[in-house]
Parts: sequence; structure tokens; C-alpha cells
Amino acid sequence: MPEILTGNLAGYILVALLLFVIGLGTVLTRRSLIIQFMGVELMLNAANVALLAFGRFRQQAAEATTFYLFILAVAACEAAVGLALVVALFRLRGTTDSDRADSMRQ
Amino acid sequence: MNTHLWLIPLLPLAGFILNGILGGALIRRTQGPGKAIVATLAIGTVVASLILALVAYTSSLHAPEHRLETEAISWISVGTFNVPFSLVLDPLSGLMALVVAGIGSLIHLYSVGYMWKEEGFARYFAYLNLFVFFMLTLVLGGSLPLLFVGWEGVGLCSYLLIGYDFETESAPAAGLKAFLANRVGDLGMVLGMLTLFACFGTLTIADILKDVAHLSPELGFGILTFATLMLFVGATGKSAQLPLYVWLPDAMAGPTPVSALIHAATMVTAGIVLVCRLAPLFTLTPITLTVIAWVGGATALFAATIGLLQRDIKKVLAYSTVSQLGYMFMGLGAGGFAAGFFHLFTHAWFKALLFLGAGSVIMAMHHEQDLFKMGGLRSKLPITFWTMAIATLCIIGFPGTSGFASKDEILYLAFQKSPWLWAIGVAGACCTAFYMLRLMTLAFLGEPRDAHAFEHVHESPVTMTLPLIVLGLGALLAVALGWPTAFGGNFRVEAILEPSIRFGQTAQALHTETHGANPVLLATVSTVLGLAFALFGYLSYRDGLGAAEALTQRFPALHRLLFNKYWVDEGIEFLVLAPTRWLANLLWKLFDVILIDGVGINAPGALTMVTGDFTALLQTGRVRNYILGMALGALALLVIFLR
Amino acid sequence: MFLTFALITLVGALSMARQSNLVVAGLSLVLCFLGMAGLFLLLGNPVAAALQVIVYAGAIVVLLLFVIMLLSAHEEEQAERNSPIQRWLGAAVVAILGAGAVKLVASSKLLASFKALPGSVDPGPVTLDAVATSLFQQHLLAFEAAGLLLLASMVAAILLVKKEL
Repeated sequence: MPEILTGNLAGYILVALLLFVIGLGTVLTRRSLIIQFMGVELMLNAANVALLAFGRFRQQAAEATTFYLFILAVAACEAAVGLALVVALFRLRGTTDSDRADSMRQ
Repeated sequence: MNTHLWLIPLLPLAGFILNGILGGALIRRTQGPGKAIVATLAIGTVVASLILALVAYTSSLHAPEHRLETEAISWISVGTFNVPFSLVLDPLSGLMALVVAGIGSLIHLYSVGYMWKEEGFARYFAYLNLFVFFMLTLVLGGSLPLLFVGWEGVGLCSYLLIGYDFETESAPAAGLKAFLANRVGDLGMVLGMLTLFACFGTLTIADILKDVAHLSPELGFGILTFATLMLFVGATGKSAQLPLYVWLPDAMAGPTPVSALIHAATMVTAGIVLVCRLAPLFTLTPITLTVIAWVGGATALFAATIGLLQRDIKKVLAYSTVSQLGYMFMGLGAGGFAAGFFHLFTHAWFKALLFLGAGSVIMAMHHEQDLFKMGGLRSKLPITFWTMAIATLCIIGFPGTSGFASKDEILYLAFQKSPWLWAIGVAGACCTAFYMLRLMTLAFLGEPRDAHAFEHVHESPVTMTLPLIVLGLGALLAVALGWPTAFGGNFRVEAILEPSIRFGQTAQALHTETHGANPVLLATVSTVLGLAFALFGYLSYRDGLGAAEALTQRFPALHRLLFNKYWVDEGIEFLVLAPTRWLANLLWKLFDVILIDGVGINAPGALTMVTGDFTALLQTGRVRNYILGMALGALALLVIFLR
Repeated sequence: MFLTFALITLVGALSMARQSNLVVAGLSLVLCFLGMAGLFLLLGNPVAAALQVIVYAGAIVVLLLFVIMLLSAHEEEQAERNSPIQRWLGAAVVAILGAGAVKLVASSKLLASFKALPGSVDPGPVTLDAVATSLFQQHLLAFEAAGLLLLASMVAAILLVKKEL
């Protein structure tokens, strides 16, 4: 079997890229703010995978994990604030449809 | 050197500035005394110019070539194109300056009485002074552009003064007509000037005339003919020849002294002055001279026929002026530059006198100008009558008068050019005699036709009659300058003018072929015919309008043709003015509205708005769409950088 | 093993992208995260795997589900105006990027040179010890900053959703 399918670096990077693309597609295609948020989390995680894969294959796994921790922290903060925003918007508009939040429309 | 020459035109200019700025306010505050001050200032500057001109003229007689010239002040200097400010006083310009300043000052004096009760007294005198300034610049100018400044300036003043009564409808319209007709002529003038510049490389008159002597006839023949023809076109406009004469009769809407000064004695003579100035040029182009002679002759007869039936006293005199100007050009074209100029000189005296006399009559009749309402004024306006009688004798060529001398000299020269030309001239003279006697008879002799107006008639004040008397004397004495050689005189004006007319020439004078005619015989024929028609005119009208009406009944078509002035104005309206208006309208609708406003201005605006509206579609206010934009941009960048 | 976990992750991600029921979407996200934890284990990083499960699957997704329940937003609403261009362009971007990614990775010689050798040149799994050393010795400032960031975001979240001061 091609080595990419047996877990060499290229395989992990491919997974990471595909996850990122799926996450981007989710944000672009779905209207619900919460689903879009999930897509953003997915993109972050794709970065995580790439980071840890590179770390492992270049013998810097500890530092990679450290950075992974920071990304984790940032993601948590972002989740908190972002969901708070969604709740606030829901209270204002009565909907979580991102297409309804278009008061800046020309 | 000779910088005092500048004062001659500049003094009236000062009068214009002072009266223009201060005069109106002065008169508003102090009625009578203010007017007196304004008038004195205006008259004073012109009289001062006259005195200076006289002094300069006498001193020029001792100067080499009888010519005084001021030092040239640089005016336009672009590459090889060099036009200086300079004034030249030679016999031609000197005599003209004397005429302008002399008759000008008499008319200024006359205007005091005539305009005393009018509004805008100061404005009138300011414009009159301005006119004198421009006219003096025209005659004294040493280079063609300076002459042209004067040329345009007198046109401007003519416009201003014709439209003096600007609150009426006819006066400003007449002023505009004058200006526009002049403008058409001015195009020719400018083309002529440019052509001369192309030929000679300079526009200073002295230099041009000197170079002419070195120009061999074959070389510059075609171009010179074109240049001189164009200059004549300009002269046609200014001096009211066919076909650009139409403004002069309308110009009678202006005050009568204006008609006397501008449209009889000075401005309209500018064309003749121009031709005389450049006489060596014209001498080299016999084709142009022939054109000038025939146009002049045709105009002389044409205008005289119209004058036969006019009812307005000033219009008769206006057509008479056009006709007499035609005679002057006829003389010039026949090679008689001195003769043409002499007729200008004599005409200035008697025509100004006729106009001022008419003004006196009009004032007496309380602004009535219709001859058919006058009559028997001789008893009440003796001075006016007798002075106008002197002028009439001159204009019909009564033997012994100055008019006789100048007109017959012209007719003699015309005969030498072509007997037909002479015949036209004689026909015109007969008409002249007829209509002048008609005018005098209808106005002064016979029974008054409007009894009510007649009662209030009284002679004009001395400020008006004094100029009449002086002009009468002048008309009588002018004959001394040019008594024809055929009758024992020495036609001194020719000798006087020779330094001007043959300036810079070393070649022989132009010899016209003679037809072996006897000048005395010609003169006798024309004079007898003229006097006969004069008598005819007197007899037709002495008993009132009866005989004339009978004639009208017998030739109704001819009467209508002449009375309606050959429908020339209507013809011009139809052929020229209406199409021009139509074209202007079309151009406006097409170019201005559609092209410039629509395509040039509104279209980009609309385009911008449409583009804006279209681009605004991108701004949906939705974050999703903006992220898509970012993604597309990032994709594009990736594609570019990873290729 | 790798293929399994990779497929689990991708299936979870795709499912999340296509689900209309938000709760099921959230659960498929959990599945995705679990697959990722497996991948981390295969990379010899049990620390990361554990953290992934604890923090992501255990905290963030739970928060998400709480919000979904709070807003009763379990069904996605109908669209107002159905302009399809966003969907099509989005799909196009996804397709191009995805294809490009595959092509890029497959043809990259550099990436292919890194061979997976569990055991041979393997330094061994990451230990918490090593991570802690790296974190508290070299990146202490960043650690403190992250703490500050967490504080700030807590305050912000509370402020955003409270009803009155």
C-alpha cells in the first residue's frame, strides 16, 4: 500500500488539509451560527493535527505539544466568547441564522 | 521724439475716464452746474487735441517727408513678429486728425444743446470722448494692429452710442446690427492683415510701404490681390458699402449728433482712410481697384435710389451718406486717392452740417422726424435753413462749391476708368440732387402740414446754431483745397497728400489710360443733369405731396420696391440670419444637449451610479459572504504562488 | 490503524458538515474529535490525546450542546431568500482546495521522505514531564499570557450574556 495510507507524514498532513477544507466549507455553506462555529473548531483542530504531526516527525514533539496546549487554550476562550456572542445575538434577533444578521447591508 | 503726439489721442481718453467715473455722480448731485462741468471737460479735451493736432501738422510740414513719428514703444514681440506702439503724423493722418478733432469739437458743442435734457448726459459725453480717442488712434496709428485697435474701438463706440437709448427696443437692436455687420467686415480686415504679415513679415505700415517698392509685381501679385481684397471687405463693413451697408440706416436710432460725427464724418470714413494709407499696395493690385470702383459706383447709385422715397429725414441723410461713401470709393478705385480723400474731406463738412441741421429741425419739431409732417419751417428756423441750404448746394455739386470740385474730379477719373462707371455716377448724382431738394422743400418750404407742431417751433440755442454756421463756412471754404485743374485750379490736395500716398515709392506714378475725354465737357453734362433733377425735385414737392402721390399711383411696383429698400433687410434675414439661427438651434440640441450634456456629463454619472449599484450587491452584510470573498482571494493567491 | 482513525475523523467531519439537526451535528463533532485523539495516540502523543478528549470533546462540545439546548436551536431554520450562489461558490472553493490539497501532498517529495517508523528512530512517546519542562521553562511567559487570556475571555463571556449589571 502506498505509504501515505500507513501513517507517514504526508498522510497526516493530508488529513489535516482535508479537515481544514471541510471546516471552511461548513462555514461557507451553512447558515446556522452554531454549525459555523463547529466548522471553525474543526479548522483549528486541523491545524492541531498538522502541528503535532510535524512535531513528531521532526523530533520536536514536546514543543509541539506545548504549542498544542496554547492553541487549546485559545480555542477554549474563543468558544466561550463566541458562544456568548451567539446567545446575545439570539436574544436580540430571536434567531441564530447568520443571514439575518445583515444590518450592514447596502 | 515727438512724444507730444501721444497727447492727441490720449486727452480725449482722459476725458472719457474722468467723465465716465465721476460725471454721472456729479450730475446727480448738482444738476445744471454738473452738466456744465462735464460738457466743458469733454469739449475741452477735444479742442485741446485739435490745437495739438494743428501744431503738429504745421510742424510736420517742415519735417523730412512731411512726417512726424513717435518713438516706437514695444508692444507685441514674439519671435520675428514685432509690433510696436507708434503714432505717425503725415499729411494724410494729419488732415484726418484735424477733421476728427475739428468737426468733433463742433459736434461736442452742438451736443450740449441737443442732449441737455436727456438722461445719461455724462455717459454720452464719455462715450463721445472715447470715440474720438479711438478714431484718432485709428488715423494716427503707425502699425496695422494699432490701427485695428482704433478700428474695433470706433465700432464699439458706435455700438454704445447707437444704443444710447438702451431702454427702447430699436436702439440696442440697431447697435447690435451695426456691431455685427462690422464684425463680418472685420474678418476680412484680419485676413488681410495676416496675409500682409505673411508677405512682408511686418505689420508696421511704414515698413510695409517701403517693402512694396521692392516687390516685383509678378511675385506677390496673387497674394497681394487677396490681401487688398480682404482689407476692402473690412472697409466695406466699416464704410457701409454693398452688401454690408445695412447697419447705417438703422444706426439713425442713435442721437443725431452721433449720426453726424460717427456716421457721416469720421467712423464711416475709416475704410477710405485705410485704403489711402496703403495706397502703394492698392496701386499694385489693379484688380482690387477695379472691384473697389465698381462696388463704390453700385453702392452710390443703389443707395441714392432708396433715398428718393424715405420719409424719415435722418434716413434720407443716412442713405445719402452711403451713396456719398460709394463715390469716395469710386474715386479711390479709379486711381484717384487724393480725389477720393478730398471728397471725404468736403463730405465731412457738409454731411455733418446736414445732420446737425436735421437735428435742429427734429428738436424744433419736438422729435418729429417724418418729412411728411413738416413744411414751411424756413420762416421759423432761418439759421438752420440757410446753413442747410449751403450744404445742399455742396452735395448736389452746384458749380463753385466744394462738393462740385470733389465730385466732378471723381467723375472725371471714373470716366477714364470706364464710361459706364461715369454714367452710374452721374445717375447717382441726379438722384442725390432730387432727394436733397425733396428734403429741403418738404421740410422748409411750402405750407406746414402739421399746424399744431408748427406753432411750437423755434430756432435752436446758440450752442447748436454756432456749429452749424462754422460748418457752413467750412463747407464753403473747403473748396480752396481742391479746385480742379481743369477749371484753373491746382488741386492742391493732391500735392499735399502726395508724401503720404506715395510714401516709400520710387517708381513712377500709376498712369491710367485716358479716354481722351474733356473734363470740362463731362463736368458740364453732369452738373446740368444734376441741376435739372434738383429743379424737378423742388417743383414736385413745392406744392405739397400732391404731385408725388400722383407719381406713386402711376408706378406702384417701382414705388414699393424703392420704398421697401429693395427688401434687402428681409433678404438678409431670410438668407443669412434665419438659417444661422436654425443651425445654432440644431447645434444646441444636438451637440450641447445630447452630446455634451447627455454623453459627456450625464452618462458617466449614470454609469457610476449603475456600477455602484451593481457593486453594492457584493455588500450583503452577511459574514458568510465576506468569508467566501476571503476564501476566493486566498485561493487565487495560492494558485498564483504555487504555480 | 492510521487509516481507520483517519476515516473516523473525516466521516465525523463530513457528517457534521451535512447534518441539519444540530445535536446530531454536535455528536458527530465529538466523533471527529475522538478520531483525532486516536490519531494523536498513533503519533505517540498520549498527552495530546488525553487533552483532546478532555478539553475539546469534554468541555467545548459540551458547552456547545448547552448553548444549543438553551436556544432551542436544534433545527436549522428555513432560508429567507434562496440565492444559491453562495452555496455553489462555497462548494467550488471546497472542491478546488480539496483537490489541490490532495495533489499537493501526493506529489510532494519532501513530505514523502518522512517515513513512519514506529520504534526504529522513535524517541518514544511524549511524556507529561517533557511537556511540562518545555512549557514552564521555555514558554513561561506565553503560559502566563494564556492564563490572562482565559481570564479576559471569561469576563467577556459573562458580560456579553448577562441581563443586567
